[in-house]
Amino acid sequence: MTRSLPAPHFRSWKALVLHRAHPAADALLKQLEKIGVAAEQCWPDLPFKDRGSSERPDVIFFDADMGYDEQFPWAPGQAPMPQIAMIGSEAPGRIEWALRQGADTHVLKPIGSSGVFGALLIAHRAFARRQALEAELAALQDKQGRRTAVARATALLMVRDGLSDKDAFRRLQTLAMASRLSLEDAADATLAHFGDADVGRNRA
Amino acid sequence: MERIFDLGVLYSTEGSYAALGQQGLAGARMAIDEVNASPDYGFSFRAEIADPRGRFDRYGPMCDALVRPGRVRHVIGGITSWSRKEVIPVVEKHEARLWYACPYEGFEANDHVFYLGACPNQHVLPLFAHAFETFGTRPFLVGSNYIWGWENNRIARELVTHGGGEVAGERCLPLGDTDVGRLIAEIRETRPDFVLNNLIGPSSYAFLRAYHALAQEDAAFLPERRPVLSCNLTELELDIVGPAAIGHIATASYFDSIPTGENRAFLGRVAARLGPKQRVSAFFVGAYSAVLLLAEAIRRTGTDDPAAIDAVAAECRPILPMGPLALDPLTKHAVLTPWLGRAVPGGRFELLEETGRIVMPDPYMASPLQDVRGLGDPTSRASQAPRLRLVQ
Repeated sequence: MTRSLPAPHFRSWKALVLHRAHPAADALLKQLEKIGVAAEQCWPDLPFKDRGSSERPDVIFFDADMGYDEQFPWAPGQAPMPQIAMIGSEAPGRIEWALRQGADTHVLKPIGSSGVFGALLIAHRAFARRQALEAELAALQDKQGRRTAVARATALLMVRDGLSDKDAFRRLQTLAMASRLSLEDAADATLAHFGDADVGRNRA
Repeated sequence: MERIFDLGVLYSTEGSYAALGQQGLAGARMAIDEVNASPDYGFSFRAEIADPRGRFDRYGPMCDALVRPGRVRHVIGGITSWSRKEVIPVVEKHEARLWYACPYEGFEANDHVFYLGACPNQHVLPLFAHAFETFGTRPFLVGSNYIWGWENNRIARELVTHGGGEVAGERCLPLGDTDVGRLIAEIRETRPDFVLNNLIGPSSYAFLRAYHALAQEDAAFLPERRPVLSCNLTELELDIVGPAAIGHIATASYFDSIPTGENRAFLGRVAARLGPKQRVSAFFVGAYSAVLLLAEAIRRTGTDDPAAIDAVAAECRPILPMGPLALDPLTKHAVLTPWLGRAVPGGRFELLEETGRIVMPDPYMASPLQDVRGLGDPTSRASQAPRLRLVQ
């Protein structure tokens, strides 16, 4: 067997069930109570207004049948917590909407007395993985956007100190390591310190 | 005329876990006969017995055949989790109820099932709390390649991490495999503080015998130094394993050595009915408990309608060999007293003194682990000499 991560304990979690009063919501609330998750049902509005609210729950279950974008105080796909779609109709349009909303997994209606613990675990992991990937992507995009700064700083060192391109780049790397900066931040610092004007002067 | 209620009984008396199925069947039948002979209930049960003979794919169709005609609305049975998972969709479909009476790995609380056996916070948790205080926090985990072994070992790893300990090693054997040589060699090499045994049936028996042989060669592996701890070793299996089991520890919600008047009277009735050699384990008493709880609920409501039984089951307190039984209305799991026993000659378990406290069921392990005695503060453990204090 494969070694697994410890199962998260949902015992300190708060859940919101965004669904009108309905047996599906009742069955879900009952399962959540057994699992040790404090849960509340609400419809049609979430009981907090902005993304950063301290009252926001740890997980949201939302109705994929009757839900709509305006219920959420964030753009579709930008929820700051795991979301689980409660799917009754498997009409492709509704599933498409639930996916666009950022469902990490789903539970099928009618909801009986199983399925919720597994959904919580899957949504929790999927959300964490998505967060990590998004953070990595943002870092890579930032890096890519700052390639020009690295090129300019290398050029500056070449001209200013009469170095080859390789040596200039190595010096930038050394500076970054010594100052514990990223290469991009070291490039920015170099440009700020000597100023772009230096390049022009030396060239003149 | 007295009313008669049909009751499905679904246990395998053949196959790899036949001994446990026979216990369940014997316990259910004894309770049915006691209800039928008693003037207190005002009704009789008629048992409809089905035997899947150890084939898990037979449980669903056999349960269906029991409940589909509509007379049988309650089925007592199932030993393995596979069989339970096969039966659940059937009882859901026909609005019947399953009474499952075995220790299991938890993470389930189905509205169509009554759970009479221990869930992990009632077996592996108390076992670990004791082991951490007595033997140390470095176990070796063994189990069969089956959900029982996987899940109990996963919980064990979590407890070890929580308690600041270390897993000395972990090994799973295929179901039924008795080739334990490599396992024993690894344990010999890693010298853990204790061994958690989640092996099933023949694998478990082979392992205990081989571990005993190891202890004959190397006294460091005698049970008083490095015991094997099990969540599913019963009285009847002590007979099968023989002297190799002596000194090792198990947990159960019932041991036949529980020193209550009810238990002595109960064992007397078992002996009168089935002979003095009949073994009684938690599997026997689990099925017996299920029938008596259902009988009490029917007595109160006058019907076996599942919704009516659901509504009153948690208020019933049938007197059982280990004391009054209570049911948690939210999870429909039994409130149990986990006992720890040490195997002694004569096929019995001697109770360890520091056990025997009532534990609410928590099938999803939703309570903080700090609430478990012995697991709260890793520095409080006494990992030196074993100190087994025994009930007189």
